[in-house]
Parts: sequence; C-alpha cells; structure tokens
Amino acid sequence: MEGGLQPARGFSLAPVRRALRLVAAPAIVALVVVFYFRVASVNNTTVALTLLLVIFGISTWWGLLEATIASFAAVLGFNYYFLPPIGTFEVHDPQNWVALTAFLITSVMASQLSARAKRRTLEAVERRREVEGLYALSQSLLLSGSARTASQDLVSRVVSILGVSTAAFNSRLAHETFRWGPDDPLISDEQLQTDRDEALIDRSRGFAIVPVRLGGQALGNLGLTGPLPSDEVLNAVAYLVAIGIERARTLEEAARAEAARQSEVLKSALLDALAHDFKTPLTSVKAAVTSLLSQPRPDQDRELMTIINEEADRLNRLVAEVLEMVRIEAGKLHLDKRPHDVGEIVGATLAEMKPVLHGRSVEVRLQDALPAAEVDFDFLQQVLKQLLDNALKYSPPESPLTISARAGDGRIVISVADRGSGIDEQEQMRIFDKFFRAREHRFRVPGTGMGLAIAKGIVEAHGGKIWVTSEPGQGSVFSFSLPVYRGEMVP
Amino acid sequence: MSAGRILVVDDDPQIRRVMRATLVGHKYEVIEARNGEDALTRISAEMPDLVLLDMNMPGMGGLETCQNLRSGSDVPVIIVSVRNSEKDKVAALDAGADDYITKPFGMEELLARIRAALRRAPTSPESGPHSVATTDLEIDFDTRRIRVKGKETRLTPKEFDLLRYLVSQAGKPVPHRELLQAVWGPDYGDEPEYLRVFINQLRKKIEPNPAKPKYILTEPWVGYRFAAT
Repeated sequence: MEGGLQPARGFSLAPVRRALRLVAAPAIVALVVVFYFRVASVNNTTVALTLLLVIFGISTWWGLLEATIASFAAVLGFNYYFLPPIGTFEVHDPQNWVALTAFLITSVMASQLSARAKRRTLEAVERRREVEGLYALSQSLLLSGSARTASQDLVSRVVSILGVSTAAFNSRLAHETFRWGPDDPLISDEQLQTDRDEALIDRSRGFAIVPVRLGGQALGNLGLTGPLPSDEVLNAVAYLVAIGIERARTLEEAARAEAARQSEVLKSALLDALAHDFKTPLTSVKAAVTSLLSQPRPDQDRELMTIINEEADRLNRLVAEVLEMVRIEAGKLHLDKRPHDVGEIVGATLAEMKPVLHGRSVEVRLQDALPAAEVDFDFLQQVLKQLLDNALKYSPPESPLTISARAGDGRIVISVADRGSGIDEQEQMRIFDKFFRAREHRFRVPGTGMGLAIAKGIVEAHGGKIWVTSEPGQGSVFSFSLPVYRGEMVP
Repeated sequence: MSAGRILVVDDDPQIRRVMRATLVGHKYEVIEARNGEDALTRISAEMPDLVLLDMNMPGMGGLETCQNLRSGSDVPVIIVSVRNSEKDKVAALDAGADDYITKPFGMEELLARIRAALRRAPTSPESGPHSVATTDLEIDFDTRRIRVKGKETRLTPKEFDLLRYLVSQAGKPVPHRELLQAVWGPDYGDEPEYLRVFINQLRKKIEPNPAKPKYILTEPWVGYRFAAT
C-alpha cells in the first residue's frame, strides 16, 4: 500500500528523456518509411495505415507533442517517397491532396484522443494512489497509542504514506512540535504556532501549512514540504490527523479515568479490609472481657478486667481515628449532605454526650430564625463532639461551656467556647495539625492528636473553615463555618 | 430450659468462640455458621429463634444472606458489623434486619439487644385493637394477618409490632423515642433511622401509594401518626 507519490530528489533526467523522445518520434517514422521504400514493396494504403499505427503508439506511450511531430514527419515522408511525383514534396493529383490531408487530420486527432485518454488514466491512477494513501493513514490512526506517541506516529506516517519530504505537527494542547524528515525553514516552529483559519499552500516553493481542526476546535497546524498532494488530499489529511489526535486523547483520558477509578476502588477495599482486620480481634477481646465483667468477681480481678476493657476501647478509638484520618486524606469521606436544623444537631449531640458532661453547664445561644445548614448529620455531630470533648478536657471541671451559632454571608458559624487556660499563639497555628499535642498537656491529658485534624477534615469536606481564637488565661473559642442550605426545606 | 436458640454467623472463629462461651453462660443454646450459605442451611434445618449475622464475610455477605433468609423466614436478625455509618445501618435494616450492632461491642449491650429482639412488643394484644378494616386495608391483630386490597401481605415481626403500636395510638402523633422503645425496648430511642426504614417498608406493604401515604403519616420533627379513616 505504501510507495505512493515518491518525490523526485536531486538531478532530474526528465527533460533529457523528453528531448530524446522528441527526436526519436520522427526517427521511428523515418525508419518505417525507409523500410517500406527500400525493403518491402507494399501499396500506399498499407504504408499510411502502418504510419497511423506508429503515431497512435507514440501518442499513447509518449505524449501529444511527440505524436504531432511524428504526424508531420509521416506526412512529409509519405508524400516524398510514396506519392507521385516520387522524390519531391509536390502533389499533382488532387485525390492525393485529399488523402494526405485526411491522413494528417486523422493522425493529429487520434494523437489528441489518445493523449487525453492517457492523461485521464494517469489522473485516475493519481487519485487512486491518494485515496490509498489516505486509507493507509486512517488505518494507521487506529493503531496509535497515547496522544503524544500518536502525534509523533502521525507525522512519520504522513511522510511515508504521502511521499512528502517533511511533515511537522504543532499541537496546541501539548505546546509541542512533532517533526519527521529533514528540518525545513519553510515550516518553522513560528509558522506552525501561528493561529490560522485557512490553509497556506505555496506549490511553487513546495510547502503547505494546514490548520488541524475538529468540530471548530483548533488542535494545531500541520506543515508539509516537498511534492504536495492535491488541496483536497491536504484537507483530508488534516482532518484525519485531527481525528487521530482526538481519538488518542479520548482513549488516554478514558484510560486515566479507569486507572483512577480502580485506584479508588482499591483504596476503599483496603480501608474496609483494615477496619475489619483491626476490629475483629478487638471485638473478641471486648466481648470476652465484658462478659467476664458482667459476673461477680473479686475486686482485684475486676480492676484488671476493667483495664483490659478500657484499653480495648482506647485501641478501638485509635483505630477508628486512624482510619478516619486516612479516609479524609484520601478524599474518601462520603458525606450525605441534607438540610438540617442546627438546633437539632446541637440538641442531639448534647443528649449523646450527657454521660461525659458530668453535669457541666453548657449554655446554648442560637440566633433566632437560623437557616438550615446543608450537612451530613453524623459527621457534623462528630465535629461538635470533638470540640466539646476538647473544651471539657482543657477547662476546669466547674467552668461553664458555651455553644453559639449565627448566620451571615451565606454561612452559619458555630462556636464552642470554654474558660480554660487558653492556647498560646504559636500553638494556635498548629493545633489542627495531625498528631499535634499542646506541650503543656501532652502527658497530662489523654489523646491521640488526631481529633482536631479530623474535625478540620470534616468541616473542609463540607466546604467550610475551622479556626480558633484564644487568649491565654481567658479561654478558647473554636469556631467553624458551614454552608447555608439554599434549596427548599423538607422536614 | 434454654432461653432461646441463637445462630451465630461469623467467619472469625475467635468471635464465634467468645459468643458461644458467653451466650451459653446466659442459658442460650448456640449454633454456629461460618458463612452466609452455611447460615441459610442451618436456619432451615434448625429453626433458630434469633440470628446474629456478621455483615462482612467472604462469599455471601451478611446483607445478601439477610435478604435471602427473609424470603422464607421471620426469624429476628441482628446484623453485626465493623461499620457504623448510618448508610450501612439503613442498608442492613432495608435488607430485612431487625437491629444493628457495631463491632466491637460490650456483651451487656449485645445481650440487651438479643433480649429486645426475642421479646414481643410490650403492647399486649388484649389491651390494643383487635382489628382494623377500611376499604382497601384489613388488619387482624389476633391472627396477625393483613390484607391489602384483598391480597394477603406478610409483615416481619418488627413491622407488625410497629404497625400495632401506631394503630393502638391511632390519630395521635407518636414521638420517635416512644415508638422505638415500644417496639424495640427500653434501651432504644436514639435510632431514628430504624423508624425511617421500617416505616418505609410498612408503607410499601400497606399504602396504596407509598409516596403519598394515607395511613401512616409523618409528623415533621415529632414522629408518626396512624390516620384512622
């Protein structure tokens, strides 16, 4: 299939061949005339028909000009050697004039017809080669891989299939030029990078720059030098290149999306497996020890079993926190966001925390007619629990806590305030960092340093922010913002 | 005399060991299954009074097992799982489970849930209504039969108890907590998702148009009400 339109490289023999043919055509006619005159004695009709055949042959194989010269040579030779008076160019008999004229007209017209048929045939062959070239190019497009290798492949295939000297494609998306063949200043990077609405085709200098577009979107420019195919073929090639690049890009995107999806599935499966594998032995430990604790035991046994039970709980919390942190960092927090009343969330959280509040006074100040927040109820409760838990740990047991909520600028801000020792400025900046523990409390208050980092992750996953303001000695206020629900309220 | 026969379904042998030791200590008879397929065979062969079903098992998981056993059995099912999101709980209840407990759990809590699942709802049939009949719904509480547009419908025990309690309070809004405690027991009250799932199932089974219920109505922020028509 390949081969196509091979370029003429270096010194061309074509003009010499043409000149030789122009000489050879009358020479062949002369040979025939001499042959019949000297060797074979035949009648004039045979001579004329033989000469006509020779002229047809010349026009078919060589061309119109050669055939026309041969025709005139034949008329002269026929007249000189075969029409009386023989040996002169004169013609006395009017019938011979008619015969000679008819011979000339017939041979010239036949030459023209034959040459036209030959031209048509050549054109048809040319078109067939072009179509074959385009077909080969479109076939090769199906084999190209990524967008980058596809661009490189395409230019090399354009050169080999169309028979041009150089092909270069400048990709607008990749900001890169792919070349095949010798560097040619006619299709410089600058030329290729220029936005074009129409193709620039200069056949006299042998180069073309064709915009490559698909569906109105410019993908880049294709430059070619050397013997150029027809305009139609150039446009078709540009279109095929566009399809090829776009196809490779789509395939690449699909492959990337599939890889990302598989990696997500793998992450989820890994997290589930981790949760299962950590919690299964903890379940046995916890079930066994609580079962033992439910029966009457000596005090010492009870104390030891209580330690096992509490430590199993601690390990469980730690596992839960680590897994949650991993989920947040992997962006795998699946929020079920719905409109919720902030008062309801605060109320439910306080009810659940009642056992750990140990009678601590908690003042709730909610702005009147607070709009609903668009949140995941469970995760939001977790944030509030974390902040309350923090406030309980880091403030004196008898001091009150305050939960407040207000709305503004499309956000609801919820704050938890305590009257503890406060946090110094240095530590305020790092308090939401993973594993950070305040220096003063590191060994005094139990914790993993993940609670606030998780709270931050959850708030940010809701599109909100979390921050702390604190005065050492005065207490701390932890606040976070949430988006207001903008749809219709459904109870 | 056994307090009940419990089928423990879990792929982890240690958990089955602890369960057996503890439950036997509390006078329950324990049978074990290692996976969902095994569980289904045991249920039809040994007719347990309750199934403790692990959610995450190789092969047929807990949810699928639960859906399968529901096609032929009303046995109370408690799903046991390491996941504690509301979505997972709702999925388990939707699959036909009666209750859900998160691993790791204290044995006291599990025992309380087992007792609650084995116990019939405290509303005694004598004090409640005996029957309800409207143009397209007939409920006979004594024979536990329900006909919707003349066609008999099966309810799970928890669905039946829920409906019976709502009917006994017909016309009055019943708060979430009250409904949970009446049907599941005094240890319950903070599981509104249980009600959402079971009310949905009930509506699918008895309402002519579950999207626009006419019998079981939602009272926003309060609870549910049975509309006596």
